Amino acid sequence: MKISNELKVGLTIIVAITIFIFGVRYFEDLPLFRTTYDLTAEFDNAGGLIPGNLVRVNGVSVGSVNGVSISEKTGKVEVKFHVDRKISVTEGSYATVSGIDALGAVRMDLFLGPRDAALIPEGGLVGTGEGNDLFGDLSARAPEMVQKFDDVLSGLDKVLSETGTMLSEPESDFRTTLGSVKGSVAQLERLLKEERARISIILQNVEDATGSIKTITSDNGPAVTKLVSDLSVTIASLDRELVSLGEASRSLNELLTKVNEGQGTLGMLVNDPSMYQKMDSTLNGINALLADFRVNPGKYLGQMKLVDIF
Amino acid sequence: MISVQNLHKSFRGKAVLNGVDLEILEGETLAIIGRSGSGKSVLMKHIIGLLQPDAGKITVDGIDINAISYADLRRIRQNFGVLFQGGALFDSMSSFDNVAFPLRTFTSMTEEEIEHVVLECLGMVELPEVGAKMPSELSGGMQKRVALARAVALKPRYILYDEPTSGLDPETSNTIDDLIQNLSDQLNVTSIVVTHDMHSVLNIADKAAFVHDGRMHWAGTIDELHRSDDQILRSFVKANEYLIGK
Amino acid sequence: MIQYTKKIILDPVQALGRYSQLLFKAFGAVPEFSTYRKNLWEQMIHVGIDSMPIVMLAAAFSGAVTTVQTSYQLVSPLIPKSIIGSIVVPSMVLELGAVVTGFILAGRVGARIAAELGTMRVTEQIDALEAMGLNSIGYLIVPRVIAGIVMFPVLYVAACFVGIGGGMLVGHLGGFVPMGVFVDGAREFFQPFDPIFGLIKCLVFGFIITSVSCFKGYYTRGGAEGVGKATTEAAVASCVLLLLADLILAATLL
Ligand SMILES: Nc1ncnc2c1ncn2[C@@H]1O[C@H](COP(=O)(O)OP(=O)(O)OP(=O)(O)O)[C@@H](O)[C@H]1O
Ligand SMILES: [Mg+2]
Repeated sequence: MKISNELKVGLTIIVAITIFIFGVRYFEDLPLFRTTYDLTAEFDNAGGLIPGNLVRVNGVSVGSVNGVSISEKTGKVEVKFHVDRKISVTEGSYATVSGIDALGAVRMDLFLGPRDAALIPEGGLVGTGEGNDLFGDLSARAPEMVQKFDDVLSGLDKVLSETGTMLSEPESDFRTTLGSVKGSVAQLERLLKEERARISIILQNVEDATGSIKTITSDNGPAVTKLVSDLSVTIASLDRELVSLGEASRSLNELLTKVNEGQGTLGMLVNDPSMYQKMDSTLNGINALLADFRVNPGKYLGQMKLVDIF
Repeated sequence: MISVQNLHKSFRGKAVLNGVDLEILEGETLAIIGRSGSGKSVLMKHIIGLLQPDAGKITVDGIDINAISYADLRRIRQNFGVLFQGGALFDSMSSFDNVAFPLRTFTSMTEEEIEHVVLECLGMVELPEVGAKMPSELSGGMQKRVALARAVALKPRYILYDEPTSGLDPETSNTIDDLIQNLSDQLNVTSIVVTHDMHSVLNIADKAAFVHDGRMHWAGTIDELHRSDDQILRSFVKANEYLIGK
Repeated sequence: MIQYTKKIILDPVQALGRYSQLLFKAFGAVPEFSTYRKNLWEQMIHVGIDSMPIVMLAAAFSGAVTTVQTSYQLVSPLIPKSIIGSIVVPSMVLELGAVVTGFILAGRVGARIAAELGTMRVTEQIDALEAMGLNSIGYLIVPRVIAGIVMFPVLYVAACFVGIGGGMLVGHLGGFVPMGVFVDGAREFFQPFDPIFGLIKCLVFGFIITSVSCFKGYYTRGGAEGVGKATTEAAVASCVLLLLADLILAATLL
């Protein structure tokens, strides 16, 4: 039998349309033959969710996100998504956005309601819950940390210049004592300045890293999460150190204020042993901190080096 | 009735037709003669609106064909059968399909009826066997005759022949002349025959028109042609008579 | 100087004018379906089905090469293999599927159309059609352009299918990336708009290639040499305009 042109062309077109539809569904991770149904969820914050992100139930992908938009009425984020029809999304189900935004691996997790509850109708609204985005939190905190560091440094700077002014006036033993304070503080400042550059580089690296590891998928998820929590711990301890550094400089500040208020005479200060002792301990504290910093910068930054690999 | 008034046409500054007038009445056969390159084919293309005149007017049945819409022009063209100088067979179709083409396109005949008409037309040009051949498998003269069969297939009211007998042997030429005459007599077809062949002119034409120097140099009946003492016309006719050995 | 100005400014503008005029006439002839119905199927065979093998061959190779090159360039152990799928699939769907097919059609179909119509022009076959009272533009150009617009997307689907398939297969057999991982990577970054964009591109490319080649062929003059010239110009103009359209579409739609 001779196949007519019409038939040949028609068949080819039908085959092409079929391949197109199934191809798109295949890569959208939709079941090839079953239909899906559409649902909506409203979030306060979509956490970087974009169309095409997977929707999972108990870690199994069952659909994907169709669209993310800000609702004009409520101002909330309206996420439209579809799931496989064989999944019974019952009343009481809720959705969370999870994954690591900075890595581009965001997904929506759907927690199903009780099996015997009524089904949420086509296009219906699913409740939402809080998700976790460790790395996102961390990234959000990074500028804050830098700011804190900065505050401490400028505080120290101020103290230092005040001390400098005061010491330039009269001649005394105190000058030598404070001279060493000055030396230590300058050293601390230098060190901190150096480290500040380093920390901002590291933070920059973190930022860059998010770009280059955007591709790390959920398979690498656990490792990344571990990394991130380590980093979080590091920064927390760095935070603690900063607090103690802040305390040290505050007491130095206090001391200098007292020197100032002591009717402008240094003799009183020198003759007041408690004052002297207080100052000494402050100085020791700073020195110890500095020594510690110098001898063992790893304690402060060591774990942060993890981030350097990026 | 076809009339051409004061037709001017030039190609890229070179004037080919310089005020041609022509009139042909219903049922007449007009022979257009003239030397090679004098613009006979150009004139013929103007008559069916394939070329637009620079100046002048062409009317078919009283309708100015350059003042009407394309759709109307096409309707008028359907009354014409045209044999082009080079045959212009569709080289993607067999001879049969070429002749059947106008029938399939413009009539609602069944395939059997079409086959009947096609074989009849091919028979008229003495080529009943070539239906299955492609144009490239035919000789130049055969192509010309298949093209003639195609031109007459729809039994049009007007037929324009551009050199129907050039390149044919004298015997086949006579057959074609007879065919042209039969169509003219039996179906009252109005014909314009562009030709060099004075023998044909004398056989088939009622009137002749001589194109020279971009103008209609001379026009009249065949009798008048014999008696004319126009020098240029006489030399053209004489040259032809030598060729055909009279 | 005047000649030069004419050549680089006036002539292209004039050509554009004539091209638009031809398109306008062609659009006018679209409703006369009965004129070109039979031709349409024939052209769809010529443009679409006859081009299928060469398009699939080229697409399979571009898919395979993209896979091999991507895996060659991504040597870092930190980058998961699935990224190969994330790169190959969109490359194929967004760009290669349409452009590779486009170039092949420009050479194969564009040249063919221009040569066909050019020959018909110089041997007075177009005049013969017109003299019968047929709309030659409707009869010759409309079915070719429609065939281009309809069959190009079909070829594109075939190209993407074998391109991605070829990439996947070579990745798997060559030990670059297992199929499952490839698919996972592709899914992770799959945008449903990508294939839609690819299809839009194809409609435009199909239209450009066929209409430009028809234009060049339909207005051929000057015998066999003219036909040769029209053929070359059709292929070249199709390719250039195709690249231009590719850029404009990417800039406006992506
Ligand atoms: N499309 C065209 N473009 C430019 N010049 C043309 C065109 N068609 C015809 N000409 C010119 O017009 C003149 C007349 O050509 P035409 O074909 O009408 O001659 P003819 O009388 O039919 O000659 P022949 O008896 O050899 O067929 C020729 O000089 C030719 O060069
Ligand atoms: Mg001629």
